[in-house]
Amino acid sequence: MSQYEELTTTMTDQQYLVEALTEMGYKPEVQTAGAALRGYGGVSWNRPVQVTIPREQLRGALAPVGFGRDETGVFQAVIDDLDRKCTGLNESWLGRVAQAYKERQTMAVAKTKGYVFRGREVVQTPQGPKVQLRFAVR
Amino acid sequence: MQEKLITIEIDENGNSSLDLEGFQGQGCGDVAKDFRGGDSVTQSSKKREFYAQTVAVKQSQQQM
Repeated sequence: MSQYEELTTTMTDQQYLVEALTEMGYKPEVQTAGAALRGYGGVSWNRPVQVTIPREQLRGALAPVGFGRDETGVFQAVIDDLDRKCTGLNESWLGRVAQAYKERQTMAVAKTKGYVFRGREVVQTPQGPKVQLRFAVR
Repeated sequence: MQEKLITIEIDENGNSSLDLEGFQGQGCGDVAKDFRGGDSVTQSSKKREFYAQTVAVKQSQQQM
């Protein structure tokens, strides 16, 4: 029997989260007021989630993935424990979500503050690929 | 005049680092603040350029 588990993130902005997931090829569903997350075998999570990736979009997964705000407004990922172990919806996957989120956030800040975008590059490092964004001061 | 360039590197965990070129003195602080947002800083180090303006000001004060 599987069960949902909560994985910690530092993401707080719903728009960037949705954009990050979209960039990764998902079509997340948004319920700003929150909705119940129901998984494999009728298992449900005890708190509402605001962003959901339906199971059909997660190759081989048993259950949908949810992102719900905690009491401080930070999104926490809710992932079925078997999916975390067997289908790659694990901490590394969540790290890539956070990477895409941070890129969206950085681009938005740069645009708001008037910095000039100079380019994007993915740099391969022993610790994994890093996204490099370059800006100039106007 | 050297162009002021900002390079932001984001790793696979969403952690980012900020590198500034062409800035001198406290000018870099505002840029860092813009991009830091609500994030916490875990490590910070200043390049040689940061101290260039401070030294220049001190030298000019000594000459007066």
